[in-house]
Formats: sequence, C-alpha cells, structure tokens
Amino acid sequence: MRREFLASVLLFGLTAAADAKPFVCPHVGGDLVFGQEANINTLDQMTSATISTRNIAMNIYESLMTRDENNNPILELAASMTEAPDHLTYTFKLRQGVVFHNGKTLTSADVVASFDRYAKVGNQRSILNNVKGWDAPDPATFVINMKVAQPTFIESLSSFSVPIVIIPAESRDVPAQQLTSPIGTGPFQLVESVPGSHVKLKRFDGYQPNTAFEERTGFGGYKQACLDTVTFRIVTEPGARVAGLQTGELQAVEDLPTKTLPELKKDPNITILPLRNWWIQITTPNTSTPPTDNLTFRRAVQAALDMDEIMDAASDGNYALNVGFQYPNQPDYTDAGKETYNIKDPALAKQLLVESGYGGEPVILLTDKDYPPMYNSALVMQQQLQAVGINAQMKVVDWPTSVQMAGVSDSSWNFFFTGWGTQPALGALATMQFLADPGAVYRPKGDKGDPELLAAWNDMNTLPDAKDRQAAFARMQKIVLEKVYAIPFGSFTKVQGARANVKGFVPFRIPRMANVWFAN
Amino acid sequence: MLGVLLRRLASALPVLAIVSLITFGMIHLIPGDPAAAIAGMSATPEQIANVRRDLGLDQPILGQLWRWYGDLARGDLGRSLLLGVPVLDATLQRLPVTLALSAYALVLTLLLGLGSGIVAALKQNTWVDQAAMVLAMIGISLPNFYLGLLMIILFAVDLRWLPTGGYLPLWRDPLGWLATSTMPAISLALLLAGLLARITRSTMLEVLRQDYIRTAHAKGLPRRQVVLKHALANALIPITTVVGIIITLLISGAVVTETLFSIPGIGQLLTQAVLNRDYPMVQGGLLLTTALLVLINIGIDVGYALLDPRIRHDG
Repeated sequence: MRREFLASVLLFGLTAAADAKPFVCPHVGGDLVFGQEANINTLDQMTSATISTRNIAMNIYESLMTRDENNNPILELAASMTEAPDHLTYTFKLRQGVVFHNGKTLTSADVVASFDRYAKVGNQRSILNNVKGWDAPDPATFVINMKVAQPTFIESLSSFSVPIVIIPAESRDVPAQQLTSPIGTGPFQLVESVPGSHVKLKRFDGYQPNTAFEERTGFGGYKQACLDTVTFRIVTEPGARVAGLQTGELQAVEDLPTKTLPELKKDPNITILPLRNWWIQITTPNTSTPPTDNLTFRRAVQAALDMDEIMDAASDGNYALNVGFQYPNQPDYTDAGKETYNIKDPALAKQLLVESGYGGEPVILLTDKDYPPMYNSALVMQQQLQAVGINAQMKVVDWPTSVQMAGVSDSSWNFFFTGWGTQPALGALATMQFLADPGAVYRPKGDKGDPELLAAWNDMNTLPDAKDRQAAFARMQKIVLEKVYAIPFGSFTKVQGARANVKGFVPFRIPRMANVWFAN
Repeated sequence: MLGVLLRRLASALPVLAIVSLITFGMIHLIPGDPAAAIAGMSATPEQIANVRRDLGLDQPILGQLWRWYGDLARGDLGRSLLLGVPVLDATLQRLPVTLALSAYALVLTLLLGLGSGIVAALKQNTWVDQAAMVLAMIGISLPNFYLGLLMIILFAVDLRWLPTGGYLPLWRDPLGWLATSTMPAISLALLLAGLLARITRSTMLEVLRQDYIRTAHAKGLPRRQVVLKHALANALIPITTVVGIIITLLISGAVVTETLFSIPGIGQLLTQAVLNRDYPMVQGGLLLTTALLVLINIGIDVGYALLDPRIRHDG
C-alpha cells in the first residue's frame, strides 16, 4: 500500500481547513525574557541531546518532519511525503519559498547536506542505520532509500530528541559541536549567544509559515513570530528565577520551586503553568550483581515501595502516579503490568525476602545531588527498604560519575536513580530502547538481554501493523515490570510561570516562542 | 627594579608547568563521564557513546596528555568539549567580566575595609571602634550566597532599585553594568572588607604606638598629616600583602556570586567545566587563571619594592 503524508490531511483534515483562518498575531512587538534553569553548551542541535539546547535551538531550526501537540508525526519543511509500496523509498516534496536566516532559499541540496552531516556527527545517527542513501533528483524533491523496510522509520525521523534539523549546505562539514552560528528556517534567528549569560533571538522577517496548518501544534504547525526579540537568560538559581518573575524582569520562567507557588499564585500578575508528565522518575537495577541479580529479591523491593511517598519527596508534591513508560494522554499508553506497581505491602516484601535467601548484604542505591528529585527518591526508597529489613545504603556522587558507574556491571551499585524525560514523550519506541541491547539499563550479565524482552522489542520495531507493534510494547512493558528490570515511580510535573500579560505561551517540551505575544 | 621583575617572571614558568600537569592529572582522576554530562540527562547509551567517540574521549589518557602538551607548545589550549569553541576564546570572553566585577568589589573592599579599619584604630575602644568591628565580623560571618539572596529580595523584589540578576558589559552600557554589578560586588566585598578592616585596624594600632608617630605629634604636625603620611604609609606594607590575597580571593571567589546573579564570568565557566568534566576547558582555563594570578602576585611584589626602598635595593 502506498502511503501519502500530507500535513493538512494528517492533522486537521482538509475539511477543517476550508473556512478557518490561520493564526494572526494579536499584537506584534516586545522582548520576552525567559529564565532558563540550565546553562546552554551549544546551539549545534544535531549534536546535542540536552534539553537546554533544544529549548532555544528548536525556535531557530526546523526539520522535514516533527511532532504535533499529541506527539504524532507531522510534516514541517516538507509539503508531502510519499512512501513507496515496498516501504523502501520515501519521497519528500519540499515546501516552496522557504528561506534560511541568511536569505538563501531552501532546496533539496540543503536537505542532502543536512543528512550528510547528521550521518557523520548526529548524536542519534542510528536513526539512519537502515537507510541506504538519499538524493535530490530536483531542487524541490528529496528521496530516502532504505536498505530494509522499517515500519517505525517515520517515527524515528520525526523524533525531536536530536532532530535532523535542516541547515544550509555550506555547513555540511562543520565538525561536531562547532556549529556556533546557527542558521535555520525557523521563526526566530540568532542575534547573540553569550554562554553562561543569555541567548538573544529576533523575529525572522523572512519566515514562511506552514500554510497546511492554521495554528501552532507541537514543534510545528502554523508558526508566527509575534515578539520582536526573545532573550533566554540563564538563571540557574531558583530563588533568582522567582524574584525575576515577581519583578517582571523575566516574563516567563521554567522550574519554579514548589514552596514558592502559594505566594506566586496570589500575585495577579503571574500565571502558574504546570507542565505535566515532564519526566518519569525511575530506578533501574543492576541484574549482574547480587542481590539484585535475584528476581525474587527484586520483587521484594518492588513490593516494599510506596510510590506516593517517593514521588512526593522527589517532586515536592508535583506528580502523578503512573504505571509504566508512557503517560495516559499518549497514544502508546498501556497499563500492562499494573499489578506490580505501587504495591506498598511490607509483609509481602518480607516474605519474598525470605524466599530469595537474602542474607543482609548491602544494597547500594547509586544517586546524585545534581538533580534533587533523584536524590530525594533514593532517600525515601532507602527508608522503605530498611523498614522491611533490607540493608539499603546510599552512594551519592555527582551526575557524570553516577552515569559512568551505572554503565558498568560491577558490584559497586544495585539501583541507579534517574529520570526519563524526552524519550517517554517521544513514544514507546524511543523509551524502550533504554531496555534493549546493547547497553540495556538493567545491566544484564554479559550485556546479553532477556531473550523474551528482546523478542518483544524486535516485534515493536518490525511488525508491519501498528496495532501489533502496540501489543508488543504492552508485552515488553509487562515483562519489564514483572521481572523488575526497571521501577518507574511516577510522572513528574515541572512548573513554569509567566507574567499575566504574556499570551499564547503554552507549556510544552520546549518553551515555544512562536505564536506568543504580549497583551496590550 | 627590572631585576626584581625579571626574576619573578622567570620563577613563574615552573609554577605554570607544574600547575598544568597537576590540573591534567586531577581532572582526569576525578571519576565521571564527560560524555554523560554533555549528552544530558535523558540521553540513551548510544547517544552517550556517540559523544564520547566524536570528542575523542575514548582515547588513552597518555595520548590525551601528549596531545595536550603538544598543542600547548603551539600555543593551542584546545577546544572546549562543552562549548565547542577554543578554550582561549571562551576564557578571554569571560575574563573581562570577572575582572571588572572583581575590580568593582576591590574598590568597595578598599573603601570599606581601609576606611573602617583606620577609623576604628583612631577611635580605639570607643563605640565607633566597636561598631566598625561588629560590622566587620558580620561581613566575615555572612555567607555571600545568603547575603546575595537577601539583597535580591530587598533591593530587587521589594524596593525595585536594582535588577535581580543578569549582566551588561561595562564597555557597552556603563550604567547598566553598574546596576547589574552592584549587588554582586557588595556581596563579594563585604566578606573581604571585614577581613581588611580588622587587619588595617591592628596594623594601624601597632604603627600609631611607634616612637616616630609620637615625635611627629610632638613636632606639632597636623593629625591628618600624621595619620596619612606617617602612620598609613608605614602600615601599607602588611596591608598590601593582604590586598594581594584579597585580589586572588575576589577572582577565585566569584564562583558563587556569578552563579547566583547569572554573571557569565570565569568562575561560572570553570565551575561548569569541572562539573561537566570539560577537560580542555578546565586545563586551559585554570592555566590561564593561574598565569593571571601569578602576574598579579608579581605586581604585588613590584608594589612592595615601590613602597619600601629596602626591598628595592635588596632585590
């Protein structure tokens, strides 16, 4: 079957578009200063998986495809996409009249150059593992040829984790991390980047919105820059972000501390914007070393945990209990394995401990203080494990050290604490790769994963029918939870805030500055 | 004088060589994967591995040491793993910010510290002396991070006199620079002004008890002339030593202040570099900062020679 992908058909349907008018900025002008919590290392989007880079860079760059508000793939710089009946060729027709910030018109040569660079230095270049090559038969057409059919290719191609952003062909050979003067096709263009201080963007007057849509949706849709400039100011200290929002120096901020919310809510000049399902708070066991190599012991741990207590401490009360690896509002969501979640049964835990033959050996909880939710969740889990007789001990290091240690299957740790943010938002496929070989996070012995798990993972990737792939995901989630290869605690809510005169600012995976304006 | 200068400069070279080796060793000895830090919290193992490969972090450590010294010999300090720009550029971009802030804080430190120290010595055992020393103790005792937060609440949120943070370069917007740098400079200066006040007071008290001061008074010289020309001039040698240390502390101590007030200085740069295991940035940045501090200390030595002819002639 030949699959045609037209942006307007996909999202709203042609009928819906008939009478609707595209978004028009109610007010144009102003400088919006956004208080960003993390330093930005690079604006080279192809080579960075960090949220701080994406926050800014995704207002500058665009891709062939991206994701909408509900995480469905949509066309962005492509006007159409046709999948060949044998699923081995994808043909993209580019939108006409799109120009880069340097004034050059986008052609398929730029797309080819962008894919060339991504294949060389892209941080997630495995997206292209099954791709044989790409070419540009004419300036408006870009073709991807596959080695083998990959039913999930479009899902991967539209990923916003490390997107294949389209850059001018001249930047093809710029080494990794060194694209310091980003030029894209997005609604905002770079004015200056002062590391450690701020990044300033301005409206790109030559921006061509995607007329297949009427409104902004997700990372794409019909975008318009209503603001003259946007300044992303790096404000790492939470108290300073709050103060900046209160005084109006910052018009929007991310990650407001919970303890400040009651006071901020009383301020009529401030709007609190909870960003639900920001990440999944999680711990993963080391199944290569005792006692966590013992399934019965891991089930005892699972039975002992009270997720409300853990998430309350991790998130300062901003959380939702959540089974598994997707959120209830996502199409891939399943509650498969729910009987293993939030058991909080100390008696059962003690019984399983006896069955496991546990002899009181130390159980090392590897965590860090760079991310307080990780440390706090480990602290509460330690108390809960000790309450059932497990000799749980904390090992607190910094984040880079904890990641390095968790990558080694030695006896220095038993549980590693982290948060999965971007991947769950992208969907089940992106998330479950954490549990697939090589380098599965539960550290299987010899780095050889559970065959049952890998079979489900393989089905998730290769079954031609979407329903069957979804069933494979449910199967995989159930296996992971039943065999305790990961213990998701719940979903974390990140709280953002904006001045009341900022309109159109809707929390999303990045602070989207298109279609945001100041009320008069 | 030239001899003093040349000897001091020559002795700085081995210092820099040793610092570069220690820095390289220490940053590589700290556990932690720079690729993990660069890739971000949600990165998959594949993404982390790609960063490691792309940035040459999978190379043997001896190879990395060899490359570091080879590049250094050519005047190349390497390229920041995190920022993707040459270490020299990143450092030179941030250094003026820290130097301007430190200079502002130094002026405040000298005004507050020297002024209150001299007044306290002249009014020994009066309420003025007591008040000055209590304030000095408060300055020394208050963590500058806490002081900074209190100032933000008072001067930015409540009174709206100053911005909560951010930074404007001195050469682009002098008034804006003054507004954004005043609270950070005060929070930096208060601790050191307290220290300087106590040392100035005790040094001045010692000098004021000397026979030549009594003689100057007996000759009928005006009090101001005795204090400024005779007492203070002789107290300046130990005070200069302390000021040298204060300059070093201001530059190295700007880390917390820069973080709190979002000032893109060298302290914030190096902190991020250490936390993220940005090896070239730590190595190169610390080497350049050490060179700067060595130069400042040479400047202090030259200052001694200018203030005290005995040092000048002894070499």
